[in-house]
Amino acid sequence: MARRYDSRTTIFSPEGRLYQIEYAMEAISHAGTVLGVLAKDGIVLAAEKKIFLLNSNVVAGVAGITADANSLVNYARQAAQRHLYLYNEDIPVELLAQRLCDLKQGYTQYGGLRPFGVSLLYAGYDPHYHFQLYHSDPSGNYSGWKATCIGANNGTAQSLLKQEYKDDITMEDAIGLVLRVMSKTMDSTTLGSEKLEFATLTLDPATKTPKAKVYRPAEVDALLEKQGLGKKDEDTEMRAT
Amino acid sequence: MSIMEYNGGSVIAMVGKNCVAIASDLRLGVQSLGIASNFQKIFPVTDRIFVGLPGLATDVTTLHEQFRYRVNMYTIKEEREIEPETFAALVSSTLYERRFGPYFIEPVIAGMQRTPSGSYKPFIAATDLIGCLNFAKDFVVAGTASDKLFGVAEGLWEEDLGPEDLFETISQTMLNAVDRDTNSGWGVVVHLLTKDKVITRTLKGRMD
Repeated sequence: MARRYDSRTTIFSPEGRLYQIEYAMEAISHAGTVLGVLAKDGIVLAAEKKIFLLNSNVVAGVAGITADANSLVNYARQAAQRHLYLYNEDIPVELLAQRLCDLKQGYTQYGGLRPFGVSLLYAGYDPHYHFQLYHSDPSGNYSGWKATCIGANNGTAQSLLKQEYKDDITMEDAIGLVLRVMSKTMDSTTLGSEKLEFATLTLDPATKTPKAKVYRPAEVDALLEKQGLGKKDEDTEMRAT
Repeated sequence: MSIMEYNGGSVIAMVGKNCVAIASDLRLGVQSLGIASNFQKIFPVTDRIFVGLPGLATDVTTLHEQFRYRVNMYTIKEEREIEPETFAALVSSTLYERRFGPYFIEPVIAGMQRTPSGSYKPFIAATDLIGCLNFAKDFVVAGTASDKLFGVAEGLWEEDLGPEDLFETISQTMLNAVDRDTNSGWGVVVHLLTKDKVITRTLKGRMD
């Protein structure tokens, strides 16, 4: 029955569903996990695939079809710079999310082209609403979160976050929480920097400007060590006995 | 009346031994009426590249914002800072895009370029208002006092000047050239770039 109504993105099925969008979300549920947590003095973002810097005040993690993601990220970067050019200020985080969502929604209503198979988590800061975390999906819908997860095993991760997240969590605790949840939801048994991209967004205390830091592989390993989740060196253990 | 002379202002960049200097006046006027003596015309593009934008004041601001947009996109995508030569090409193409309705600016670029061995080489360049590049080895000048700047620079400049000597040379060049131009002056600022730092000094000159 669904077969007849799923090839055209721009028409409804008799039950009032847009199948192409649902299929896009299905593609994302098989993709790499992305996890974001809002702390009281910053945001932590971790991803199995790449993390992108969108602007000096916003970082994004993507889950889904990589080619679609690259295209969207480029659009977001242009949108952020356009805003900077027009208003001489960093684009507010929600506005950037809206710009992308307006683009994505267009692909569900006009043109007959398939939707973007990408969900994004946006972690950003602006002076109006301070630290914010948003999630957008292929339908062009977005919502704000305190902690959320997209991609594979997002159900498990989401319930873990629900249990352990507290309002006013500090950055240090948030980093620990993110790493612990990632290690439980990712396919591998131990986390390593080759499988994990990690980023934080904080406020520079002196200049009061947002600082986005995408961790280098060595720094990711160091963080994992600190949390006790790093890869254990088997050879050393043998020698010890 | 020429549009390039409406607001007034001049910029010069000079090469030294492992250093570059770029200087500009600080005047903003409306023809003969002086309005501001603190109008910035030289902007940092990266830690190691500065661009001077003499000409119509509204285009000074607009071009600065345009370059900021394009250099930000470059940095975010390339995940590294733009090099002076590449930035010069960016300036040239940005100006030529407006070939038949140009920005009334003649940019001057000064920077320190990375060499394969890991050290830095001095770099200067200038373009005309439609983007024709000039990669000089000694100095580049632009603005309402450009003829005078050419004259004094030609007389004072010599090769391999150290940072302190280069500072003295570029300062004397600016001060004496702008004193012979009615639309330049009202203060001079000089930026000296070496491989590890930038020193900015404001000169004490005639305020008439």
